[in-house]
Amino acid sequence: MISLRSKRNSEGSLAKKGERPSSHVRPGVLGLALSLPPLLLVGVFIGLPILIGLTFSLGFTAGPNRVISIIGQQIHKKSHWWGTLQAYSDVLHDSRFRGDLVLTIFVTVLSTTLVLLLALAIALYQRLIGGRKASVLVTLSIVPLFVPVVISAWAIHTFYGGDGFMRTFFSHFGINFPTLTSTPSAIVIGTVWTSLPFAILMISSGLQAIPDALIESAKDCGASSLRVIANILIPLAKTPIIIAGSFTSIGILGSFTIPLFLGPNQPTMLGVEISNFFGSYNRPQQSLVMAFIVFAIASGIAVMYVRSNVKSAKESGRL
Amino acid sequence: MLKKFKFGRIGINLFIGLLALFILGPIFWLAVHAFAVDWHYPDLYPSGVTLHWWSKVFLDSALSTAIRNSLIISPIVVILSMVICLPAAYAAGRMNYFGRKAFMIGVFSANSFPKIGLFAAIATLYYALNLMGTFLGVVIVQLLGTIIYMTWIPAAAFAAVPRNLEEAARDAGANKFTVFRTITLRMAMPGILVAIVMSFLASFDEAQGSYLVGAPAIYTMPTEMYSLVQNYPIQVAAVFSILLALPSVLLLGLARKHIMGGQLAEGFQLK
Amino acid sequence: MFKKSMKKPLALFAAASLAAIGLTMPASHAASQTIQVYISADTNIQDLWVKTLAPAFKLAYPGYDVNVTFDLHGDHDAQETAKITAAAVLHKDPGVDLIDGGFVTTLGAAGLLYRPTAGLMPNIKDVNKTVLAAGKGGIPYRASSVLLAYNSTNVPTPPATLDALLTWIKAHPGKFTYNAPSGGGSGYSFVQTVVDKYLSDADRKTLVAQAAPELETKWAQGLETLRQLNKYTYGQNGTYPANNAETLKDLATGLVDMGTVWSDQFSSALKAGTMPANIKVTQISNPSLTGGASYLGIPNSSTNKTGARLLANWVLSPAAQNLIVGGTLNGFPVIALNKLDPKGTAAFAGVDILNLRAGYLSANANDLKSKWASTVPGK
Repeated sequence: MISLRSKRNSEGSLAKKGERPSSHVRPGVLGLALSLPPLLLVGVFIGLPILIGLTFSLGFTAGPNRVISIIGQQIHKKSHWWGTLQAYSDVLHDSRFRGDLVLTIFVTVLSTTLVLLLALAIALYQRLIGGRKASVLVTLSIVPLFVPVVISAWAIHTFYGGDGFMRTFFSHFGINFPTLTSTPSAIVIGTVWTSLPFAILMISSGLQAIPDALIESAKDCGASSLRVIANILIPLAKTPIIIAGSFTSIGILGSFTIPLFLGPNQPTMLGVEISNFFGSYNRPQQSLVMAFIVFAIASGIAVMYVRSNVKSAKESGRL
Repeated sequence: MLKKFKFGRIGINLFIGLLALFILGPIFWLAVHAFAVDWHYPDLYPSGVTLHWWSKVFLDSALSTAIRNSLIISPIVVILSMVICLPAAYAAGRMNYFGRKAFMIGVFSANSFPKIGLFAAIATLYYALNLMGTFLGVVIVQLLGTIIYMTWIPAAAFAAVPRNLEEAARDAGANKFTVFRTITLRMAMPGILVAIVMSFLASFDEAQGSYLVGAPAIYTMPTEMYSLVQNYPIQVAAVFSILLALPSVLLLGLARKHIMGGQLAEGFQLK
Repeated sequence: MFKKSMKKPLALFAAASLAAIGLTMPASHAASQTIQVYISADTNIQDLWVKTLAPAFKLAYPGYDVNVTFDLHGDHDAQETAKITAAAVLHKDPGVDLIDGGFVTTLGAAGLLYRPTAGLMPNIKDVNKTVLAAGKGGIPYRASSVLLAYNSTNVPTPPATLDALLTWIKAHPGKFTYNAPSGGGSGYSFVQTVVDKYLSDADRKTLVAQAAPELETKWAQGLETLRQLNKYTYGQNGTYPANNAETLKDLATGLVDMGTVWSDQFSSALKAGTMPANIKVTQISNPSLTGGASYLGIPNSSTNKTGARLLANWVLSPAAQNLIVGGTLNGFPVIALNKLDPKGTAAFAGVDILNLRAGYLSANANDLKSKWASTVPGK
C-alpha cells in the first residue's frame, strides 16, 4: 500500500478532485514538457510572424521585413531606436478607421447580445419545458455550425438582397420590403446566423448541468418561473454564458467574409478594412497597425474570459 | 409547469416558425436555385428546372482535385493534432505547472490575429524552412487552427474524470496503462470526439493560409468554392450549398449525442 | 470506437502517412521544359490561356510544356505578391515563371522582374512604346477598354459624353451602377474618368507616367461629383457592388440599366449566354473611359526564365496576337494592326486601340482607390 501511494504521488497528479493541487517540481517539469509541442508550434509559426509584424508596424524595415517593405506604399521607417509611431498615428487619424471601429464595436455588441438572448430563450425553454418542440428549436439553431461561412454569406445575400426571397415574397402582397444587403443590418443578421450554434451548445449545456432538484425545490417554495430563471438558472450558468459571449464577440470582431458580402462599402468592419489596406491600397504597415488593434481588443476579451473562469473555478472549489 | 405555458402554445409555434425561416430560409432558397434555369425578380418560381448546373460542378476537374486534397489533408491534420496536443491537454487538465494559464491564453489569442497581415512574414518563414508548396507546409498551416480545440476541450475532459475511480482501479491492482486506457481515456472520449469534430471543421474550412503555402501545387476545397461562388451564376453556388450541407447533416447526427450531452460546455472551463 | 489505447498506433499511422505523402509529393518544379504560368484575372482570360494560347504554343515549341494555374479576380494577389517577393529576397523558387496579373507592374516597379534584352525578345520591337514604358518591366500582351454597357430596350440612345452620362444618371435614379474601385477595374475606370474631367491634359499624363502625390489634391472636385451621385446610383444610398462580376450580374438581371464593364469580360459574357442580347456597349468621350494593357511578368528568381521568355516573345507574335483578337476573347492586341488578320481587326474600326486613355500608375491608382473609399461611399 505504501509503495502504491508513493507511486501515485510521484506521478504528480492532483490528489483528489476539489483539493488544492500540489505544486511539485516534478509535475511542473513534466507538465511543461508535455505542453511543449503545441507551444513550440504556435510560437514559431504564429508567434514569430506576429512579433515580426509588430516590429514592422513600428518602422523596422530591415531583415525579415525587407520583403514587405519593397512592395508597400506609405511606409514609415523608424526614427528612434524603438521605432516610430507614425503608422499608428496615420491609422488613428484616418476617418475611415474611426468609422470602421465604431461600426465593428457596434455590430459586435449588438450581435453578441442578440445571440445570447436568442440562445438563452431557446435553452431556457428546453430546460424548463423540454419536449419535442424544444428539440426542434435546438436542432434548428445548430444547423449553421457546419455550413462554411462563404456559403452562408451567399445564401443570406440572395435571401435578403434586391431580388431575394424577402422582397419577392412581399412584393406579391404589394409590400416593398427593403433591400437589406449592403447595410449594417445584414451584417448583424449574418453574424447572428453563424454564431448562434456555438452559443446554443454552450448555454444549453450549462443549463442541463443544473440539477432538477434545485428547480423543483424552488418551485415548491412558491417561486415563479421568472424568479427561477433570474435567481437560479442564470447565475448558475453564468460561466457558459460568459464563454458563449466571449467566443462570439471575438469571432465577430475579426470577421471578414460576412461583412464583405453583406455590408456597405464604407464604413465596413475592421476585418475587411485590413484587407483593403493591405491589398487594394497597398498600405501594409497601416494594415498591420489595424490588425494589432483588433488583436488587442480580442486579447482583452480573452483575459476577461479567463478571469471569469478562474473566479468561478475557485468558487466551486476546483482551484 | 406546462399549465403556465399553455397560452403560449401559439406563441411557441410562431417562434419555431420564425426561427426556421431565419435559419433554414436562406439555405433552402439558395438550394432551390440549384435546379433553376433562370429566375428573375419578382417571380416566385424559376422559369424552368434543370440539372445543368450539377454537371457543371461535377465535371469541373479543378474542383474534384481540390476536394480530394482536402479530404486527404484534413484527416491527417486532425490525427497529427491529436498526437501533438492531447498530451498537452492531459497535462493542462491534470497537472499544475508554471505558465499553464499563460499557455492556454496564448493559444487562444494567437488564433485571433488577422492572418492577412502575416502573409509576408509567414511566406519568408516557410521559404526559409523549405516548407513552401509542400503537403507538410499546408498540414502545418491547418494544424495551427486546430490547436485551440484540441487543447482546451480534451483538457477539461481529462480534468473531469473522477480521480477516486482511478485510485480505486489502481488499488484493485490494475497497472498505470490499464487504468489510463479503461478509465481515463474512456471517460474523456466524448470530449475528445467533440474536439475531433471541431478540429476537422477548422482544418477543412481553412482558406487563406492554405492558399499562401499550397498554391499552385495544392489547392484545397475552400479556395475552389470561394472562386466558384463568386464567379459563376448563382445556381453553381446553390449546388455547392447542397453538396456541403449533406456531410454536415451526417456529422450533426453523429456528434449530436456528445455535443448535446454537455461535453462542449465542460470543455471551456479552466480548472 | 476507441476501445484500446489509441495513442501509439495513431502516432505510427500519422508518421507512415506523412512518409507516404512525402514520397508521392509532386516534384516542386519539373525539368526546364515546363513553364508555370500564373493568371490572376477573370475566367475569360483563363480560357484564353488554357484553351487557346497554351496549346498553340506547344505546337510551335514542341519541347515545352505549359502549366496554367489560375486565381479568380485576384482574390489571392496578397498571398502571391508576398510569396514572390519572399522568394526573390531569399533566392528561392517562387513556383511561377510567367505571371499575368494586376500586381505585375508593382513587382516591376520594385525591381523584381527579369527584363530580357531586346535581342532575346525580338517581337517586342513591334509593341507600342508608351504602353511598353508604362509596364515598368512588365511585357504588355493584350489590352481592353472599359466601356459603358446599357440596356438597349430601356435606353434606346445612350449618352455620348461624360457630362451627358452624369445628367442621365441624375434623371434616372437607381438605374446606374459602378463597382467600388478597390474591387475591380471597371468601377475604377469610371472613378478615374470623372476625376480626370477636372484635370488638365498635362496633369493626366503625369499621373499616368509617375508617382505624383502632389497632384492628388486636384482630385477633390471629381470626388465631390461622385459623392453627389450617391443618391442616384443603384440603391440610392451610396453603396456599390464589390467587383466587376457583380456589376455584370446587376446588368444581366435587369437591376440596373447602365453600368461600366470591361470590353473583354462583356463580350465573353455575351458569348457564354450569361448576358442577354439586348445589353450593348458604347464608348463615351470627353473624357473617354480608360483602357489599358495587361502585363506579363517574369520573376527574377524564376527557375525557367528561358522558357518564360520564349513564351512571352511568342505571345507578341502576329500568330498569337490574332488568337487574342479572335476567338471568344475579342481582346485588343498590342502590336500594330497592319500585322494582323484584317478580319479580326475589323471589329475595332473607329476605336484607337493603341492609344487608349491609360489608367494611372499603380501608386497613384492605389491612392485614388483609397481616397474614393474615404470620401464617397455612404457619405
